[in-house]
Amino acid sequence: MNAATPALSRVEDRRLVTGQGRYTSDWNLPGQLYAHMVRSDRAHAVIRSIDTSGARAAEGCVAVLTADDVKAAGFTELPTGAPVKATDGSMQVKCPMPVLATDRVRFVGQPIAMVIATSARAAQDAAEQIMVDYDDLPAVVNMEAAVKPGAPTLHDVSPTNLSAVAESGDEAAVKAAFARAKYTTTLSVHSQRLTGAPMEPRASLASFDAASGLYTVYTPTQGMLGMRGSLSQVTGVPQDRINVIAQDVGGSFGLRGGTFSEQVLLMLAARTLGKPVKWTSTRSELFASEWHGRALTLTGHLAMDADFNILAMRWDDQADLGAYTCYFQAFIGTRNLAVTMGGVYKAPALYCRQELIYTNTVPVSAYRGAGRPDIAYAIERLIDEAAAQHGIDRIELRRRNFIPNSAFPYTTANGTVYDGGDFEGTMDKALAMADFAGFAARKAEAAQRGRIRGLGFGCYLEASGAGGAPKDVVSARFGEAGVVQVFGVTGSSGQGHETSFAKIVADGLGIETRQVRYRASDPTQELVGNGTGGSRSLYGAGSACKMLVARIIEVARAHAASMLDATPESLEFRDGAFHAGARSIALLDIAGKLAVTGTSHPLDCEGEATSGMTFPNGCHVAEVEIDPNTGVTEVIAYNAIDDLGVVISPQLVQGQVHGGVLQGAGQVFGEHIIYDNETGQLLTGSFMDYPMPRAGWINNIRNDYNPVPTTLNALGAKGVGESGCSGSMPALVNAMSDALRGRGVPAMDMPFTPARVWAALANAAKS
Amino acid sequence: MNIELNINGSTHSIECEDRTLLVEAIRDQLGLTGTHVGCDTSQCGCCTVHLDGQAVKSCSMLAVQAQGASITTIEGMASGDTLHPVQMAFSACHGLQCGFCTPGMIMASADLLRRHPDPTDDQIREGLAGNICRCTGYVNIVAAVKTAAKMIQQAPANRA
Repeated sequence: MNAATPALSRVEDRRLVTGQGRYTSDWNLPGQLYAHMVRSDRAHAVIRSIDTSGARAAEGCVAVLTADDVKAAGFTELPTGAPVKATDGSMQVKCPMPVLATDRVRFVGQPIAMVIATSARAAQDAAEQIMVDYDDLPAVVNMEAAVKPGAPTLHDVSPTNLSAVAESGDEAAVKAAFARAKYTTTLSVHSQRLTGAPMEPRASLASFDAASGLYTVYTPTQGMLGMRGSLSQVTGVPQDRINVIAQDVGGSFGLRGGTFSEQVLLMLAARTLGKPVKWTSTRSELFASEWHGRALTLTGHLAMDADFNILAMRWDDQADLGAYTCYFQAFIGTRNLAVTMGGVYKAPALYCRQELIYTNTVPVSAYRGAGRPDIAYAIERLIDEAAAQHGIDRIELRRRNFIPNSAFPYTTANGTVYDGGDFEGTMDKALAMADFAGFAARKAEAAQRGRIRGLGFGCYLEASGAGGAPKDVVSARFGEAGVVQVFGVTGSSGQGHETSFAKIVADGLGIETRQVRYRASDPTQELVGNGTGGSRSLYGAGSACKMLVARIIEVARAHAASMLDATPESLEFRDGAFHAGARSIALLDIAGKLAVTGTSHPLDCEGEATSGMTFPNGCHVAEVEIDPNTGVTEVIAYNAIDDLGVVISPQLVQGQVHGGVLQGAGQVFGEHIIYDNETGQLLTGSFMDYPMPRAGWINNIRNDYNPVPTTLNALGAKGVGESGCSGSMPALVNAMSDALRGRGVPAMDMPFTPARVWAALANAAKS
Repeated sequence: MNIELNINGSTHSIECEDRTLLVEAIRDQLGLTGTHVGCDTSQCGCCTVHLDGQAVKSCSMLAVQAQGASITTIEGMASGDTLHPVQMAFSACHGLQCGFCTPGMIMASADLLRRHPDPTDDQIREGLAGNICRCTGYVNIVAAVKTAAKMIQQAPANRA
C-alpha cells in the first residue's frame, strides 16, 4: 500500500476482484449429478412421441425426466403473474407454459426433457440420444401476422392469438380533443425483441434432505421470497421447506424474479434420485429459452391546438407475449405503458388501447424497465416528429407543454399522481451541459468533413415500483462482536446492496460502514419485503434501514440509561454513542456488554417502511455523427441530467446511469432478436450474431442531477435502476433521426446498425 | 488422460478427458471458480486467464494444450492481502457491478497494461473489445485501467 493506492469502493468488491465471489455455478455438493436440457428444435409442432431409451442406455445416464414425470409429481405449469382485465370486463386468456412440453411445442427452445447423468458431458451426450417425433405445424413469429385472419393458432383457448385487449384512459375525451385539434401527428415505433443476457448464465443446484424434508436450491434471484414463492407454487412444496441460496448474482435485468422449468425439475430430480443435481446453461440455450424483453409496437397519436398546446395523446399498442403467459409479462404491455403515457407533458386527455398477442417465440417478460423505457421512447419520438412535421422548434414545443412545477402533485388524465419534478429546469440544465447553443456550428463543421451530425433529447419520466409486498422489513442482529448484521429480502445482482444499505445504517448510527453487514434473503430470517426490481430497492429497503436506525437507538436507549446511570430521555445519541454530560457509551459497546449466548440479543429489532411509487425523470441529450459512406455512427457526446430525488451513494448511482445508458444504446445500435418468418427458427442465437454493447460504444457519458426529493419515502430517493435506458433510447434515436431527417430519411426503427443506416441513406438519395 | 497444469505457481496433476477445455479443468477439477464462463462462442471474455503472461480465453483451448505453460488465474493476481493494482483500480473506480465479467476484465486489462504501460483510451477500448460487461457501460472500466496504469507507473513494485 502506498499513497497512490486508492481505496476499495464497495463492501462486496474485494471478493469479486479476487475471484472469491460465489455465483450459482461455483457451488458444488458432494455426490452431485448433472442435468442437461432437451429443447424443441421446432417453432410449432405436435409431439407424437419421445423416445428416451437411447439416452437411458447411454453411459453415465441416471434418469430422464419428461412431462409424464412432471405430471406424476403433481407440478403445475410455470407461474403467470397477475392477470389483466380486458376491455370487455373479461379476464386475460392465460396460457401458462408447462414445465416440460406435453403434446405440443410452441417455440424453438421450449424444454422437452431433462437428462441427468454422472457428469455434465455425459448428460449432454445422453441428451443427444433422445428422439422426438414431431408433426410440424405452421408457425407465426411476429405480431402483425399473428392477428391476421387465418393465422396459425397457438392455443385453442385463444383462437385469434389475442390474449387480451385492454385499455386505460378516456377514449371519448381523446376523440373529442382530436376533433377540435389544429395539428395532429401519428408515429408508430417498434421496440424490438431483446434478450436480457446477464453475464452469468443461469444455473441451479438443488438438494433434498429426506430426514427433514427440506430442499435447498442454489439459484440466482432478485430476492429470495419471489423465487421461493414461485418454486413453491409450481411444486406444491410449502415455502418453509425450501431454502433458496444466492450469494453473488451475475446480473438480472428482470430475469431472476421467479422460476423457470429447470429449477423445479432439479428439485424433483434431487428428491427422486436422492442426490444433489446441478444444471448450468449454455449461452446458446439462454438465447432460445430465457424470457425475452421489449417486443412492443407503440403507435402514438398527438393532438395540439393552434398554439401547440397538447390536447390529447392516444396510444395503440401491441405487446408480443411470445408463446406462453409468464410472470410480469402482462403488466409490461398494459399498466407499465399506460401509467406514464403522457410523460412529462400536460395532456388533458389520454387513452391507451393494448393488444397482447401470442406468437411462436420465447415468452416475453421484464427487461430493464419492462415497458417504462418503451413508452418514454415512444413519447419523445412522437414529440420530435410533431415538431418536425408542423415546423415548431422541438425545444419550444416541449417548453409549452411541460407540467409546471406549481402543478405538483399532478394527477394525469388517466389518474397517475406524479409527486414532483422540475422538468423545464432539468431540460435547461441539460441544454447548457450539452452546449446546445454551439450545436449548429459543430454540425456545420462535421458537414465539411462529410459527416452528418444530429442531436436529440430524451425528456423521460418513469414510474418506479410500488412493489408487490405490503412493506419492506429489515432486521438488525447484534450477535457478532463489533458488528451490526442487517438482514433484508432484496438481493443484489450488481447494485451493491451490501454497500448502500450498510451505509444508510452506519451513517444513521454514526459508525463505520464496515461495521454494518447487509445480508439478503438469509434462510434463517422470516422477513416481509420486495425483491430487487422496478428501481425501488434503495428507497424501499433503504427506507426500512432508516427506520431500523431509529428503532435500534430507541431499543438501546434504555440499556444505555442504566449503564450510564441516567434517565433515558436525558441521553443524547450522536457519533455512535449515548452521551450523558461527560459520560458516554458507544452503541456497539452496549451490544457487547449485553451479549448473551443463544439466538437473540436484547438489541435485536426490526425496521419497516411502506414506500409508494415515485417518478424518476430527466433530460438526456445525445449528439451523434454518421459516416454516410459506411453507415457507422459515433456517439460524440452524451449528457444526462436526472432527477432521482436524494442520491445516497453517488458513485453507485452514477454506475447505474452509465450502465442503463449503454443498455439503451445496445438496443438503439445493435441488439435484436430475429426469428425466421418462414420456419420460426431463431437466427440470433449467440453473441456472434447478437451484438452486445462493447467498450467504445459510448465513451463520454457525463451526468449530473437536478434533484427534487420525493416525500413518498423516508429517504427522499426516487430510484435509478431503469432511468438510464429510459433516457438513452429516446435521446439517441432522436439524435439519429435529427441527423437522418436532413437527408430525407423517413422515420425508422431501431436498431441503427451500419447496414440499416447506410441502406436508409441510399434509399433516400434515390428517391 | 493424465495431465499436469502449473497454475498460480503450483503444479497439479489431473485426470481429464481429451476434450476437456482449459476452463473446465480450472473450474471443475481444480476448484478455481473465479474464472467464469459467460458464453460458448469465445465472445465474452469472462474466462480470460494468463498463459505465460499472455491473456487467453480459457474456453478456447484444451486443457492438454496448457501443459508446460505457466497459468495465472484471478486467484493468483493478489500477493497475500495486497491486491494487484488492476484489482484495486477496478474497485476504486467502480468498474464492476455484478462482478461476473470482472475476473476476465482484470486479466485482460493486466495483459493490456503489460503491452501498453501508458495506454490511450482507444488502446484500452480495443484491448477490451473481447470482453463483455452488461452492467457498467464500460466508462468506469476504462477509467480503472487508466488508474491502474498510473498506480503501476508510480510504484513499479505494484506490478505483480
